[in-house]
Amino acid sequence: MQAVRDGDLGGLAVLFERHHRSLFNYFVHVNGNRDLSEDLVQDVFFRMLKYRRTYQPERSFTAWMYQIARNAHVDSIGKRKFEVGLGDREFASANMMDENLKKKQEVALLKQAMSRLPLEKRELLVLSRYQNLKYDEIAGILGCDIGAVKVRVYRAVRALGQIYFELAGEKAS
Amino acid sequence: MNCEQARTQFVDYWRGTLDDADGEFRTHLSGCERCRAEAEELKDLWGTLGALPEEDPSPGMRVRFYDALRGWRQQEAQRRQPLWWLRHPAFQAACAVALLAIGIGTGYLLRGRDTTEVSQLRGEVYNMRQLVALSLLQQQSASDRLRGVNFAYRVEQPDPQVLSALLTTVNHDPSVNVRLAAVDALRNFDDSPVGRNGLVQALSKQDSPMVQIQILDQIVELREKSAVSAIQFLLSNPSLNPDVRQRAQWALKQLQ
Repeated sequence: MQAVRDGDLGGLAVLFERHHRSLFNYFVHVNGNRDLSEDLVQDVFFRMLKYRRTYQPERSFTAWMYQIARNAHVDSIGKRKFEVGLGDREFASANMMDENLKKKQEVALLKQAMSRLPLEKRELLVLSRYQNLKYDEIAGILGCDIGAVKVRVYRAVRALGQIYFELAGEKAS
Repeated sequence: MNCEQARTQFVDYWRGTLDDADGEFRTHLSGCERCRAEAEELKDLWGTLGALPEEDPSPGMRVRFYDALRGWRQQEAQRRQPLWWLRHPAFQAACAVALLAIGIGTGYLLRGRDTTEVSQLRGEVYNMRQLVALSLLQQQSASDRLRGVNFAYRVEQPDPQVLSALLTTVNHDPSVNVRLAAVDALRNFDDSPVGRNGLVQALSKQDSPMVQIQILDQIVELREKSAVSAIQFLLSNPSLNPDVRQRAQWALKQLQ
């Protein structure tokens, strides 16, 4: 990123190859929309270029990138003018395909539970579990201390558990 | 260790990063049925969460990125190229000679002619740019409004109507890109107290962190000390974006 900041735009291609897939998955897990997620990934790289002078090499690049990603996502919600409740529709096909396999069924159920989680909890789980960000990086993105991150992640998992076990109970009955 | 303290350690326990050298956490877990059950139940869920398959973006995404990158590179090259040859002493000397020659030539050709015609023509062109800017700024499409902002740049004499249209755009346009361009176009009105005041007022009306940061940067460039109270008001918002907060604190320091 330092090279990009100093004017080497070719460095952006290296960053794209390294991070586009995890950024795409971040957006897909947060908003459940593949097309929108692809647009948002492109937007993140454009913003990196535009705001490259705000990058501080002593800070984590990943944290900076996800901070831009969060802003891009928040702006996209503003543009669409409605709250991103994912609904169960996006995950219905996964449910149908996987119903014979217990493990895959669990995954489908979990995706459904994730979609019902409030946005800020869903985002926190995506950052800490899928993107495997360190506590200090998440704390940097959210603007809070590490202790608060641990408590918030715990609460998000507990909330997810409540929805998940409720859904599992409905399916079983 | 009580239940509340133990729960703050759950995530480390699931991640396998728990530092429990004195065994306090495990002692609590073995003695507290409720915490033990919750920790184990959610540990399985944490495991399944990590097993969710990753999705692949479409191949078109890569193509679109590299297309866009090519465009960004060209823009960057265009932006840099003039700077390179503009700074070259040979070019500067040649320019000076050419300008002198053009000046002498034009003066010679226009000598004795009625210059009112030229100034009338210039006035008409100016009025036309102003009209185009004002009408484009009211269009439905964001790209038309962007073109309007670009026309506003080309209005040579700062005009109150164009300034007022730009300020309305900065405060109310739904597109972040159009608002950013309009904030930039306000640089044409650096000398106008209404323009400077409008820029300061706009700070509290923005919800996009990008626009807020650009306004803060512009305020610092202008050394607009009257913005101090507006920045302090912005900082009093507890849910302010951390980047904007950092920039606002920096701006405050620069102005004080």
